[in-house]
Parts: sequence; structure tokens; C-alpha cells
Amino acid sequence: MKLNLTLPKFLRIGTLPLVLIVLAAIAVVVAMARYAYGIGAISDLSYSYPWGFWISFDLFTGVVISSGGFLMAGTVYILRIKEFQPLLRPAVLTALLGYIMVAVALLVDLGQPLRIWYMMIYWNHTSVLLEIGICVMSYLTVLAIEFAPVVMERFPKLHKAAHFIHKFIMPFVILGVVLSTLHQSSLGSLLLIQPQKLHPLWWTPILPILFFTSAIAVGLAMIILESSLSSRYFQRGLETRLLAKLAKAIPVVLVVYALIKFGDLIVAGDLGYLFTSGWMSVLFWAEILIGVVFPIVWFSVEKNRVNPNALLTGAVVTLLGLILNRFNVSWFAVKHPDPLFYLPTFMGNVKYFPTLPEVAVSIGIFSAGILAFGLIAKYFPVFEDEGRAAHAGD
Amino acid sequence: MTDIKHHAYLFDATRCIDCRACMVACSVENNIPMNKTRIWVAGLGVTGEFPNLQRSTMVYHCMHCAHPDCMSACPVGAYTKAEDGPVTYNPDKCIGCRYCMNACPFGVPHFDYDKGLIDGAFIDKCTFCPQRIYNGQEPACVQTCPTDALEYGDRDELIKRAHERIAAHPGRYIDHVYGEFENGGTSYLILSHVPFEQLGLPTLPETPINEVSEKVMAMTIPFALGWGAVLTAVSAGVALYEKKKNGKAAEEKAEPAETSK
Amino acid sequence: MTQTISRRDFLKLGAAGAGALALGSMLPPRAAQAARASGQLDAGGNGYVHSTCEMCVWRCGLIAKVVDGRVVKLDGNPEHPHSRGKLCPRGQSGLMNTYDPDRVLTPLVRMGKRGEGLFRKASWDEALDIVASNMLKIKEKYGPEAMVFSSTHNLSQVQFENLLYAFGSPNYGTQRSLCFNAMITAFLLTYGIEEPSRKYDDVEFILMVGRNMMEAISTSETGELAHAIDRGAKLVYLDPRYTKTASKATEWIPIRPGTDSAFLLAMINVIVSNELADCDFVKQYVIGCDGIQAEMRKYTPAWAEKITGVPAATIERIAREYAAAKHNALAHPGWRTSNFVNSFQTERAIATLNALSGNVLTPGGCLSAEVAAEGAGLGMPKQPPYPRVSALRLDGVSWKYPLVPLKLGVFQELRDAIITGEPYQAHGWFISRQNPIQSLPDRNKTLQAFGKMDFIATVDIIMNDTAWFSDVVLPEASYLERYDPLLPVDGKAYIRQPVVEPQGEARSALWIYKQLGERLGLGDYFQYEDEEDYIRQQLKPLRVSLEEVKEKGYAEMPEEPKGEITFNTPSGKIEVYSETLKKAGFSPWPTWEEPPAPKEGEFYLLTGKVAQQTQFGTQNNQLLHKYSDEPRLWMNAKVAAQNGLQDGDWVEVVSEVGKVYIPLLATEAIRPDCVYLTPGYGHLSKGLTTAHGVGASDSALHVTYTDPISGGQALSQTFVTVKKA
Repeated sequence: MKLNLTLPKFLRIGTLPLVLIVLAAIAVVVAMARYAYGIGAISDLSYSYPWGFWISFDLFTGVVISSGGFLMAGTVYILRIKEFQPLLRPAVLTALLGYIMVAVALLVDLGQPLRIWYMMIYWNHTSVLLEIGICVMSYLTVLAIEFAPVVMERFPKLHKAAHFIHKFIMPFVILGVVLSTLHQSSLGSLLLIQPQKLHPLWWTPILPILFFTSAIAVGLAMIILESSLSSRYFQRGLETRLLAKLAKAIPVVLVVYALIKFGDLIVAGDLGYLFTSGWMSVLFWAEILIGVVFPIVWFSVEKNRVNPNALLTGAVVTLLGLILNRFNVSWFAVKHPDPLFYLPTFMGNVKYFPTLPEVAVSIGIFSAGILAFGLIAKYFPVFEDEGRAAHAGD
Repeated sequence: MTDIKHHAYLFDATRCIDCRACMVACSVENNIPMNKTRIWVAGLGVTGEFPNLQRSTMVYHCMHCAHPDCMSACPVGAYTKAEDGPVTYNPDKCIGCRYCMNACPFGVPHFDYDKGLIDGAFIDKCTFCPQRIYNGQEPACVQTCPTDALEYGDRDELIKRAHERIAAHPGRYIDHVYGEFENGGTSYLILSHVPFEQLGLPTLPETPINEVSEKVMAMTIPFALGWGAVLTAVSAGVALYEKKKNGKAAEEKAEPAETSK
Repeated sequence: MTQTISRRDFLKLGAAGAGALALGSMLPPRAAQAARASGQLDAGGNGYVHSTCEMCVWRCGLIAKVVDGRVVKLDGNPEHPHSRGKLCPRGQSGLMNTYDPDRVLTPLVRMGKRGEGLFRKASWDEALDIVASNMLKIKEKYGPEAMVFSSTHNLSQVQFENLLYAFGSPNYGTQRSLCFNAMITAFLLTYGIEEPSRKYDDVEFILMVGRNMMEAISTSETGELAHAIDRGAKLVYLDPRYTKTASKATEWIPIRPGTDSAFLLAMINVIVSNELADCDFVKQYVIGCDGIQAEMRKYTPAWAEKITGVPAATIERIAREYAAAKHNALAHPGWRTSNFVNSFQTERAIATLNALSGNVLTPGGCLSAEVAAEGAGLGMPKQPPYPRVSALRLDGVSWKYPLVPLKLGVFQELRDAIITGEPYQAHGWFISRQNPIQSLPDRNKTLQAFGKMDFIATVDIIMNDTAWFSDVVLPEASYLERYDPLLPVDGKAYIRQPVVEPQGEARSALWIYKQLGERLGLGDYFQYEDEEDYIRQQLKPLRVSLEEVKEKGYAEMPEEPKGEITFNTPSGKIEVYSETLKKAGFSPWPTWEEPPAPKEGEFYLLTGKVAQQTQFGTQNNQLLHKYSDEPRLWMNAKVAAQNGLQDGDWVEVVSEVGKVYIPLLATEAIRPDCVYLTPGYGHLSKGLTTAHGVGASDSALHVTYTDPISGGQALSQTFVTVKKA
């Protein structure tokens, strides 16, 4: 007997969304296990490794890849460079979803996820993490406001409200840039309290400045990446002209970054560590070569700035390198207690390797984010500004 | 015992025989679950080659720092430093972010990875036995130590005693009382016959290590206000400039229409 | 992860145990009422109670904190000379011993085969009747000597012995021959006392042969030794293993096992040949000062170097340093020294060294021969005279072992007699507070001997291995739940009293022995109503009330007038030269006896205590388990590498009598020709849910070697092969 498997239209989904849904579902299941049995049941975190894959991937990486939002908002609204309007909404959406992913990830990672809002009422003003918490929560609100019009434009009844928001968007944009500056840099500041644990090739009092500078480069690369992937998936044109300009800015930013970084190493007298630190040196040079040198060289060539494939390649490599930097600073280059003889033996775990469930949670959340991006882009006017002038100030 | 201004411990690594009575006493006194501990042993253990051997171990618990990094780092202020010494953790505020575990240079705060959402996963650490020290007793670990490797008293007095002991036995100790100045001073002081790293103690400067972090944090609000002001100025300036440009362009636009007519 | 609640199908002990753990006893608190009456606990069951620890033989005074009728913390009693306010890790874990979920809380009667662990609960009446009737049956059929009685020395020992003597059996097993027969016999023969006491206030030089004081902790003495070293006293410590005491010693001598007496005899040689001892002073108290030079001439440092592996110059120097400290030098009597058959001679040499230094002759010196007899000054319930015993002792005292005191015995030799039935067959075994299955060397032999028994009854607080193989298990109350006879220490009689009411139906040994005695028709020998009455009778000569003693924790005893320093030997002097030994056919002087040595490819199997455990009885204590090192076989790291073994590898350890499997610890802390196995593990009883399956049994490997003079078991004379499992 032949099975009649005609699915109703809305259930017919492509392979990619299906995969993303499955990954997200796995993450949900693992999260449930975490809530039932504790973080230790599904991860390799321990006394020596309180932070691992989740913090490096979900928090550090998640936040930095959302930096395109404030960059485009600042460019379009503050600097009034209207030609970048088409890139604004996707960047804001990327940022909004990025920060939501961070929040969701924290709901799994925190010991008391239901108390996440305590950061709004209990304040320890010396804590970098508090600053990040408050900034991220506030900025999520700002992003929601900045993105709200996109949703509202879908519903004629809400057009007036959308217009209203447009009119008073400026203070929010400024607030958004300030908040972003604060928390993008503060992620670096998180490590300031561990001078003896983070390797001298990375630890410096100007970590916040370095993090902010590289966040700009990451934001630019992310916009290129997101545009390239969206254009391929949704089969739309690519704003190559605009992306070329972004790509031109990347080497500038990274040269500044490199100058600050190496200048700081010289001032601190830490140049000696560059080649003598074993694996730390390897990781350092990997991060510099991949995330700084390569993009500077690559995007200095005009050909690479205008060719879609070259753009994508350059962006991906830049991101990999700078994300490696985030992993180095938050995990790989951090000294965890040495394997000295420990008693009782349940304290002896001084090695850490993320478990499959740990990684699955992060990947699942990330998948949900991509899925959300795709759905929102499909049903809401995220890409509508292409080829149109901006509305600012109307 | 009643005249203690600043409660502190003194550990003498030459007296410790690694019997772990202190650890059992702490577990019993504070009702610690079987798979947790507030006090543990670290160090290189037995080193050297037979028969030239040496043993170095140390009993660890919270150092009750003068400038606690846990307190500095905790976003919700779950840690407090009492005036008379003990650093106390308050589980009622804790959100379980584990930043304190990163911040503490000694690896003291222990997070309960085995608790789910309902029980709640909290930090556990040495409390300095307040139920004992404010009742005229010594902390559980100190009282039971058979060789008096662990001693308790007023911090200044213990530091004096420690230096006297070093002077009384030249060559026996490293001429340094760990914790006198490290990280701005701790309330767990250590005397050792071997370099302190061999006991698992980190080498720390005299300035508290949270100094840079706190300095940067103090700049946050001024910076935010300043940056916000700059951005406002820039956006106002750019808006003004654009208006001027638009105005001129509008004029220019109007003119050709006239001339071409 | 260890189970905190036991899971057993047949052994339904868990219910009572778990219930007790959760709620405390539901029975009306008779004992606790008593405590409340004396003002130590308030109406809510809160307060502090004085008592005595039992986690080892040192018996520190403790103060127990009780909340809601449960003991929540134990602290050392600052006024007790053995604790001085401190408790070792085992003492601190004592309440886990009381609240162990594996406690036996009702009498049990075996159902399946021995060793299957199938028991049914029984009432006290039924269980005691079974025990008594079986014992009487054996007495009638085979004579009272067919019952073996064994117990490790404890505070109720006097009543255990009472039962033994009243019953009329000569067969008495204690743990002493597994421990310090060598020391006690040597000091009895040399000084006339069992064990001289040590004082560390002024000691300048301490020589220890084994006696790993920092791991075999005797709380106050460990502290005193630590403080003496701290003060600047020099410790020379002989041990083939780098123990924690070795790490505190000024000088660690990694001596070849079994050769300590050579080292010591060479020291004596140096001292007497160079006339470094104040012989004129010493002469008046010592027999043997005259002939000693000639006798010791052959034991030169050069001779000792060849045997011990210690350079002659070192031996010479140490001897001189020892002598230079004069009466502030202490050669510590120790307990087992190297655990070889020649350990008796080692102890004789130690006694001689002390005599030469004059320390025991100096009032208030670091060694003292003044020891009050146990129980002297206290009252006792009246007793009719004991029946005469004509049968030979199965352990060979004194017909095979003429010099071994009756109260020490030669426990390990009982089993051959049981197995062979020579000189007569034993049929029953009554065990109290002892675990011979685990503690006697050659565990298979012990199991074999058990197999020959018609009836075995054990008194214990937990399903230890011996209880596991018994026919009836009688639950004793733990030391925090019971009274025991008063224990005099340094002029005060200290009490052990219930801190909390006994859980389940556990009862004190005093009660059990009396109940059993009555059913055996020996009620006249147990003339006390209950435990409190017993203690009141003990207190009678002191004219102080029980309530006062319970409150204070002790009773003052009248001071013994100090007379001249005398020695309870036949001559009244220290007998370095012993006529008694000569008459028995042994060397009258301390002498060298060549120990056996392992063959090529074999290792000396060493043993030695750890601070977190007490012999074979504490491995189930969850608190101690938590803070113990994993039991391993220690092997010298280089030797391990040579044999292709890595740290952590599972190895097969084989001796003449057994085979065990255990992970290896490759370490620098041991001589290349030795291996060491953490003792006490490898329990057979599945009723020990924490301990079962952990480690391996050293007793399964130990070969039985008995010293003909002292009857001591040579635990380290076993040699083993080790290979990858």
C-alpha cells in the first residue's frame, strides 16, 4: 500500500532548518538533565575549571559576534552614513539574537538560573561581571527597541508605533553604543582579577581596550559573514559595494589593535614570552597570524574586497582567529591549579575537556539562534532596506 | 582568647604530619556531605630520590584574605569581610556564576555541581567556625591538631610568633611568613621548610590582585558618561552638518529648475 | 561513590540501621535519662558529656557535644593526659562509627552457610540462650577447654577474662602477639614491667626503631614527640620505608628489614667499648655491666654495616650522639620494630640501650619504669574462686612457649591446634571486640580453623568479617553508647559513659557478659546489677559518687607514695643479663639472630599503620574512607620501572600462603628490596558496604612465623613476588 505522505505546506521544511531544530531539541533535553541532576552530571566542569566551554563559546564568543549591531547603528544613526542602511537591520537582528543566546546559555550555566535577575537588585560595584550583566540586560532592551519597528512594519495597525520609535531612536542608539563599548571591553576586564592565572602574553591592564578594538573587527567580519550566508541561503543579491567598504575598515582596525597589543607587550617587558612559552606561544601566534595578520594582508588587496568568495573567506578566517583569542583569554591561556597531590581524591580533577552534552547545549542554542534569524528574515522586512533610502529623521 | 582583634590561623608545615584529623573535625563540625570538603591537602608530597627524600604537604582552606578577591568579583555581593577577619559567604544572594572561583587565587570556593534546579547549586567554603570562635573555642581544625601544626589567635600576635619561631630555628624555615603581605595580607599564615610553591601556594605580590580590576571598574561610570557625551556631541554635530548640506543641496536643486526654465 | 544506606536483600539490618540514623532511637532514653539526671544533658537532649574514645588503644578522653539526643561533635578533653584537648582523625570520626548504617543492632542467628551472610534477627533471650546452650554442650561433651575465648584488649577485658576463667577454659587469645609481644616480653624480662612510660619534656635524642608515631598516632605522645623535635631534639628513625615519621626525623635510616638488632648491638658495642656510659652509676641497678663489654665485642659497626647496609661511620656517630645525651637520650620501646622473629632481641637491645643511658634510673627522666597496675586502687565486685584448669593451652603457652605471659598468649598458634586437633580438638569460639579473620596472618588458615568449629559466637558493633563467619552475632553498643569499667590514667580514674542512648537493641559488654554468665550458671562471678552498679563498686574505695564522676569525667585517685626505683625482676635490678632466659635455654644476653632474606625476585612485604585507620576495624567508617589514601602496593619507582610496572598498574602479589590483586604505587619512599601493602583492607564481609571491595588483605599474604621466646608474630618476615596482573 502506498503511503500518502503529502505534508501540509507549513510542515515542509528544508534540510538545514530540520537539522537546526534537531540540534536545538538536543540542547533542550540536555538542559533538562542539567536542571534535574546538576551541572556536574552533564559537563566536565570542576573546582579547578569553574568556567569552560560554555563561558568561552556562549558568553565570550556570543557577545563579541553581536558587536555588529552597535557598529551599524552608530554608523547609520550617529555618523549618518546612510548608504549602510541595508546592513543595519540584519546587524541589529544578529546582535539581538546573539544576546538572547547569551542569556539562554546563562540560564543553563548559572547555578541559580532563576536568580539571574538578582543582578538588577543586588549590586557589588567592584564586580566586572555585574557590569556585564547589567549592560547586557539593558542592551537587550535597546536592541529590542531598535528592532521593534521591523516587526511592527509587518502589521499595518502598528505602523504608527514604528514611526514613533524611529523618531526617538537616537538616545537609544547612543545608549546602545555606550553600553556595547562597556560590556565588549568588560569581557576582557573579567580577566583583570586573575593576573597570576592568565598568561603574560595576554594579561594586561589594558585588556578592555584590546577587547573593544578587536570586537570592532569581529563585528565588521560578522556583518560580512551574515550577509554572505543570507544572500546564499535566501538567494538574494549581495551588497558587495557596502561590504567592500567594511572589509577596507578591517585592516585599519586590526593594525591599530596590533600596535596597541605589541606596544603593550614591549612596555610590560613581556616580549621574551613570545617564542619561549611552549603551547602558549603556539596559541598566541595562531591567534595573531590567523586573526590579525591574515585579515590585514587579505583585505588590503582590493580584489579580495569585491569578490564575494574572497569576502566570505576573509571574514571566516578573521572570525576564527579572533574567536581563538576569546578562547585563549577565557580558557586556554588561563592557568588552572597545578596537578599537585590532592586529597581527598574527588578534588583531583585538574584536567578539563568539554563533554558532548556540554558542547551540544552550546551548539543547540546557537542553532536555535540561526533558525530564529532565518525565520525572522523570512517573515519580517529585515532585508527590505536594500536599495532604499533611510527613514531617519522623517 | 577573648582579646582577639583579628582572628587568624597559623600553619606550620614542619609540624604537619598529614594525619587529616583537621579534615575529619571540620566535616563533622560543619555537617559537610560525604562528597564535599572545606579543607583539603595539597603539595608535592614526597619528592627527591631514594634515600634523599623530603615531604611537603599543606592543609588548605579559605585564606580569609584582607582584600578578598571573591568579594571583589561577586556580582551580587554574596561575600563579606568581617572587621575581625572572617570572610563569609551568603548563599541567599548567590546566583551560581562561579566568578569567585576564578577570582580566588587559592581555589577555595567549591561549587556544588551535583545539585539541580530545585535544590539549588551553591558555593561552600570555610566559615572560620563562627559557632566556635565566638563562644571561646578554637576552630574545629585547630583544636584537634595533634601536633599543633594549626594554631589560632590574633593575627598580629601570630605573625610575631611566626617570626620568632623562624629566628629561633635558623635554617629550618624559609625566612618568610606567607600571608603576612601576600595579596595584601591573609588571615591564614603559613610557615614552611620548603619554597611555598611546593606546598601549592601561588606566588602573589603584596598589592592586592584585585587592584587593577577595581581601578578599571571605578572608571566605568565616568567613562560611560563621557563617552555618551562625546557620542551625543558627534551625532548633533553630524546632524547639523547634514542639515546644512541638505539645505545647500535643496537650494541648488531649486536653482537649476529655475535656470532651465 | 559509597552508599550511605545499605542495600541488602537477606540481611535486613538496613531498616533498623537507617531508621536509627534518621531518627535516633525511639526507645525511652534510659541512659540519656541518666545523663540528664547528672546535669550533663538538658531536657531537650542537648549538652556536653565526658567519655573515653575507643577508636584505638590510646583511649583519649573526649567531650561529646549532643544536640537533640544525637552526638554531633567530639572534641578532645583538654584535661585528659592522652588527648590534651585533641583527637586524631579516627577519634574525630567516632560518631560515624556509632551512626554507621551497617551497625548490627539486633542479635543475629545464622541461617545459611557460614560466610553467606544470611542471618535472621533474634531476641536477646533467644540469642543468649543459643550461645549459652552451645557453650554448655561443648563443656559437657569435651570439657571447658574446648571453648576458645578471644578478645582484643579493651576496657571490659577484666570481665571477659572473668567469663573465661569462670568457665574454666585456658584458651585465651588476644591481639598482643600480633602486636607487641616482643616488646612486652623483653621489658618484662629486663625491667620487670610491661611497657615503660615515656616523657618528652627534656629529651634530647630519640632513637626509634619503626614505631611510626606520626601515623600510628597516640594523640598525646605524637604531639609530644612533634614538640620535642620542634624544640630541637634529634630523632633518629629506623625504617625501610619513608613514612611520615621519617619525614619529620632528623635522620632517617632506611635499614634493611630484620636487621635492626644488628644496628642496636653495634651501638651498644660502641658505647660499652668506649666506656661512654656512666657504668659506675648504672652498675648498681643493672645486672650485666661487667660482662657486657666482652659479650658485645663481636658486634662491631663494620660487622653491622655488612648486615644492615648502614655505613659503619654512621652507626658509630649515632651511638656516640646517643651516649652524649646521657639520661636525656631515649631508645623508644616501640611496639613491633621490624616485625621479625628477632624483634625480641631488638627489644632487648633497646632495653639495654636505655639502661646504659641511665634514663630509666633518673626520676622524671624520659623513660620510666613506674607503672601502676591496672585497676589498682579501684574496687571490684566480689568473686568466688575460679575453677582449676588442668588442660594445656592450645596456643602453646607455657609448655611450648615458657616465657610468654599468660595474658599475652600466642594467638596465631591457636589455629594449627584447632586444625590438627592436637593436643586436643577445640569445638567452640567466643569472640568479642576482635576480628581474627582479618587480623591473624594467613587468612586461609583462620578460615580453615573456623571451619572446624561447631559453634562460633561474636560480640561486635558492626558486621565485621569475623561476625560474617559466625553463628550468632551479639550487638554491642558502640563506645559512645555504653558504660565500660573505669580506666585509671595518671592518678585519675576516667569514665566511659553513654553519650547517646544505644541504638536498636545494642547493649554493653558488661551487660552481655553478665547475661551470658548467668545462663552458663556462672552468675556468682558477675555480682553487679548493671553497668552503673559495677562502676559504683569500682568507686567505693574512692568515696565519690557516680554522679560526680559522670559530671566531671573522672575520679581522683589517691597518690601512690613514690619509693626507691626498683625493678620487678628476680634480682630486683635491670637484667641486661637475664638468668631467666638462660634457664629457659635462650641467650641471656641480647644477641644477634640472622633473619631470613628474600630470594632473587622476591620482596620483603612490609606493613605499617596509617593515621586514618585502626587496624582492621575502621575501613567501613565513611568519614575515614573519605580522607584515606587509596590502598596500594608501594614499590620503589626504579624497581617498578625495571620490572615493566607503572604507577597505577594492577599487580598480582603472591606469597607462600596467598595471592592478592591491588594497584601499584610507584614511589621513591621505599627501599628497592621492599614492597608495602596498606593494611586492613580486602574485607570479606559484604555487610561492610563501604569497605567491601576496597583494597586487598595483607593477612591473606602473611605467613605465620612465631618467635619461640616472646610468641610474637613476625608480620614482615613474609616474602612476596609481584608481577603485572
